[in-house]
Amino acid sequence: MGQLSLKQITKTFGTFEVVKDVSLDVHEGEFMVFVGPSGCGKSTLLRMIAGLEHTTDGDIVIDGKRVNDLAPVDRGIAMVFQSYALYPHMSVFENIAFPLRVEGAPAAEIKSKVEAAAQILHLENRLDQRPGNLSGGQRQRVAIGRAIVREPEIFLFDEPLSNLDAALRADMRIELTRLHKQLGATMIYVTHDQIEAMTMANRIVVLNAGDIAQVGAPLELYHKPQNTFVAGFIGNPRMNFLPVTCTEVTGTGVTVDFNGQRLHVEVEAPASLRSHLPGAPLTLGVRPEHITLGGGNASMTVTPSVMEYLGQNTIGYAPLPGGEETFCFVLPGTQKVPADTPIDVTFSTADCHLFDSDGRALPRRANTEDLGAPALQIERTTG
Amino acid sequence: MMNPSRRATRVLTLVNPFSKRAQPSAMMDRYSWYEIVLIYLGIFVFLFFMLAPFLEGFLVSLKPLSQLFSTPYSFWPENGSFEAYVTMWERIPYFAIYIFNSLLIATVATLIVLALVVPAAYAFARFSFRGMPLLLGAFLAVSMFSGAVLLIPLFRLMRTLGILNTYWAMIIPGAAFLIPSAIWLLRTYMMRIPPELNEAAYMDGASQFYTFRRVILPLARPGIIVVAIMTFIGAYAQQFIFALTFNSKTEFMPLPVGLFAFFGRQEVIWNELMAASFVGIAPALVIIFFLQRYLVGGLTAGAIK
Repeated sequence: MGQLSLKQITKTFGTFEVVKDVSLDVHEGEFMVFVGPSGCGKSTLLRMIAGLEHTTDGDIVIDGKRVNDLAPVDRGIAMVFQSYALYPHMSVFENIAFPLRVEGAPAAEIKSKVEAAAQILHLENRLDQRPGNLSGGQRQRVAIGRAIVREPEIFLFDEPLSNLDAALRADMRIELTRLHKQLGATMIYVTHDQIEAMTMANRIVVLNAGDIAQVGAPLELYHKPQNTFVAGFIGNPRMNFLPVTCTEVTGTGVTVDFNGQRLHVEVEAPASLRSHLPGAPLTLGVRPEHITLGGGNASMTVTPSVMEYLGQNTIGYAPLPGGEETFCFVLPGTQKVPADTPIDVTFSTADCHLFDSDGRALPRRANTEDLGAPALQIERTTG
Repeated sequence: MMNPSRRATRVLTLVNPFSKRAQPSAMMDRYSWYEIVLIYLGIFVFLFFMLAPFLEGFLVSLKPLSQLFSTPYSFWPENGSFEAYVTMWERIPYFAIYIFNSLLIATVATLIVLALVVPAAYAFARFSFRGMPLLLGAFLAVSMFSGAVLLIPLFRLMRTLGILNTYWAMIIPGAAFLIPSAIWLLRTYMMRIPPELNEAAYMDGASQFYTFRRVILPLARPGIIVVAIMTFIGAYAQQFIFALTFNSKTEFMPLPVGLFAFFGRQEVIWNELMAASFVGIAPALVIIFFLQRYLVGGLTAGAIK
């Protein structure tokens, strides 16, 4: 239990379409992350699943049952809010017990369930305190405790870690992943932080202006983005996009002209595009971390205007001709690359992505497993 | 360079006595000596202006009546006594009943106002419904009329309802004129309670009423107490005109009308009038003092963020 389907969900506020015709299946026990820039509709989508917002159109189906008109409790859903939303006048115990008190559960059951939840979340010693006396991380755990005590089938998290500092966020990421394993429940998690998405998710849904840009396992999105939006959104610093022209389509890939260099990128050209491709403008995508000094089979000269030396790696930003885009490169370790001095950087066509003029990716031929992505573990069938 | 120890003492002497910061010697809380003198001077002038009538009233209540009209006027009572506090009870036998009536009218009016205003303010704070701005505006407009303007229509209304010369004739208009400002005051307070708490309670399966009772009411308590105090004071203060117009029975009269009895045909018995005023205010002071102990700030700390 805990299988969720969204069927052509649409949400409009006035005339503004926030969520556009979204269809999605979330498998039982899956950790699904909705990620996207602010205003992409991810929180609205979550609130519709929760039952806090009506859908304008479309169906929400949980375990084969349409739940559009059911209250959150009847959907078997619990939610953890970004702002925690703890009841400040109640002790931690009463906060966690609140859903059970609403149900009218017997006192003994409440006590045992709250204590069990407190143990999972390491809050045993805090049960008598008020939320105002707790740290941010503890408050967040109380909010999670209030969600798990009712044993819902589906958990919703609305940017739960965004109020925590960086170190605590890293700890809570690990704790949430552990909690997911322990409970085995379906979790849907909204964030704008791609690190949270990449580290915790079984699958990620990237949303862009109310549309699903791509759904896939974290490394699948990293290695095989289906469009320039996902390519630019996943990965930090973001992927460099360079204008190129297609010269030839062969059985093994597409050859493009990049500043006079002929680069052969191993992608599949769809049959429908094949005849149009030669001579067409394309976009070459290469991630900053794949740029090297020497090696590789393509090269370009850039003049970094800003260099950042982080110790662990060295990041350079160089303006590209045309002015709008900045070319970024990440070099491992501490490299003595001065700013404002032209340098030759290189990259390998094996690491490159190609996008057509509409921003759609030409699928890379490389096997996901060869690129270091684990086999997709989400293909569990749900009977 | 300034000597560090001198510097420390200088900081200490200039600590802002009004700072609510944990560290009262914080930079922005430091004042120079003349600023502190000016602040205290301002407070003194203000307080003197506010309290001088009370002081004078109290001193008058201690003086024998003959001394009040002596020239030159002596501010401090000579051979003052609390005699007026005893004789006033004899002059106005109903005085205890007047005090009781005042308290009763103010208390019942306050309870009625709270019973109506708390749910209304919650509705205005949390729900948006058709005509809400209009209703709020109407409440504001109503509170711009003082009861005195509407005395004649109110009189006719009371007569039609057959409640002239009862307590209700003073309680109902009293409560009605206090409701608008109470709604505005409490609505503002309730809007500060994070709406996420409603959503969280809804997610946990709580009904609107359960949420209102278990989450909103406890959090709105300081606001409700402020409204209760304001309403009680208002109801206590505005009784005179309603009582004089809508009631002619001595046994239902409130305190302000009772004080009027000290104004004789020939003379005003000032010392007993002042004594009676202080005695009459005392119960209300006690109630307000008791209520304000429940005014605790920071109740919503830890709700969000």
